[in-house]
Amino acid sequence: MSTEQGSNFEFMNRYDNRVSHLGSQAEQYVHTDPESCLFKLRLMVEMMARRLVELQAPRLADLDLIAILRSLEQYGMLPKKQADGMHAIRRDGNAAVHGSETPVPTAMRRLRDAHRISAWYCSMIQRGAKVRTGQFVPPPGPASANEHSQAMHEAAEALEDHIDDRRQATREGLLLFAEQEELPIEVQRIVSELEGLDRVAQAAGEPLVDAEFVAVVMAMEMEQLLEHPTLGLDTREAKREAEKQFQRIKEGFELREAMYAEERRALMLYHQRERQGRHTRGD
Amino acid sequence: MSETTATMNEQEQLAQLWFVAARAMAVADGTVPAVKEASAGLYAQAILGLSEETCRVAKSPESIGNLTLVDCLAGVHALPREQAEKIMTGVMMISFADGHMEPLEVRWASMLASACEMTAEDFQRCCASARVIASMFNPSAPPTDDTTSQEAEA
Repeated sequence: MSTEQGSNFEFMNRYDNRVSHLGSQAEQYVHTDPESCLFKLRLMVEMMARRLVELQAPRLADLDLIAILRSLEQYGMLPKKQADGMHAIRRDGNAAVHGSETPVPTAMRRLRDAHRISAWYCSMIQRGAKVRTGQFVPPPGPASANEHSQAMHEAAEALEDHIDDRRQATREGLLLFAEQEELPIEVQRIVSELEGLDRVAQAAGEPLVDAEFVAVVMAMEMEQLLEHPTLGLDTREAKREAEKQFQRIKEGFELREAMYAEERRALMLYHQRERQGRHTRGD
Repeated sequence: MSETTATMNEQEQLAQLWFVAARAMAVADGTVPAVKEASAGLYAQAILGLSEETCRVAKSPESIGNLTLVDCLAGVHALPREQAEKIMTGVMMISFADGHMEPLEVRWASMLASACEMTAEDFQRCCASARVIASMFNPSAPPTDDTTSQEAEA
């Protein structure tokens, strides 16, 4: 950010200079070219994700960004909050790369997300060391802001709130536990109940499922499983069916993201027309 | 109208049963690894055909909070065969996700299989399908450990 206060990402210089530089560039573009800002932020997230993978799971290094983020999340290396922020930057960055117009408040939100993620990232690459970041200070906008641009800004903020809510709802639908649940208590309750049932089953001499078979299936290579003389046909069918179903869900998620981009575009178009109308009327 | 309500109730009940069954398998080793989280919701929506909203409602404390594992077993027992098998497959998918199986996980699988009145053959089919689906969610899973069966039977 080219102001007296310096960049929000300056603190990163001593940890990862390249990522810090991208953050500073994103700040410079946030008001004048929000699409470029998102592009820089997406690149920043990609660099952070790749560095984390190099440090913690090098065998995942060849994957693309979405697969890297999912894997980091799956292995508990990426907390939910940071993952949400990184996915939001990835999605909005992709939309910007593909030509979607971006309101300034969208880019500003992602910039704020990037700042929060950066602090966590630096702490991770420093093996948990405490990192001093300071508060995020929004880069100041152009001095020419008027009543109309203020209205546009407020409408865009409201739209972003709405998009954030819907993304959150999507995520809540996928999780095993609701966000508000007391996880350790719930886990303890379920485990206690399982142990009770186990004691009853043992006392009744109830046999276990074929644990040896389960272990064999676990150890099998996928090709072996699919070509197995008795399991193969059913398994191939299940695979085809599952792929089809997951693809449908994936397309649904993509459609929603496209809809969010369309809503942003419509908002910007509406305000552009408003502005032109005022200009024509000489307001 | 009443048919719609009945369908809604059936969907909600299916969602509740799924999330209780899935949670039990996910935490049977005493932890909640993130690997098992999003796959549970994806499975619910893609394979069980539940809506995002139904999944969210089913997880609210008012909805799922009073359900015990015994209630879940009774509910699964009463389900149509195809749905019960899908729940069994999904539960096994969760157990396969981290590449190993603890004794309580085997016990929970065993109880569910009994509640579904499954034959050994049905159960094997579910396991094989579950393994395939688990690999879709988690293609880079760590190699499995051959000692799991001995641990499970201990």
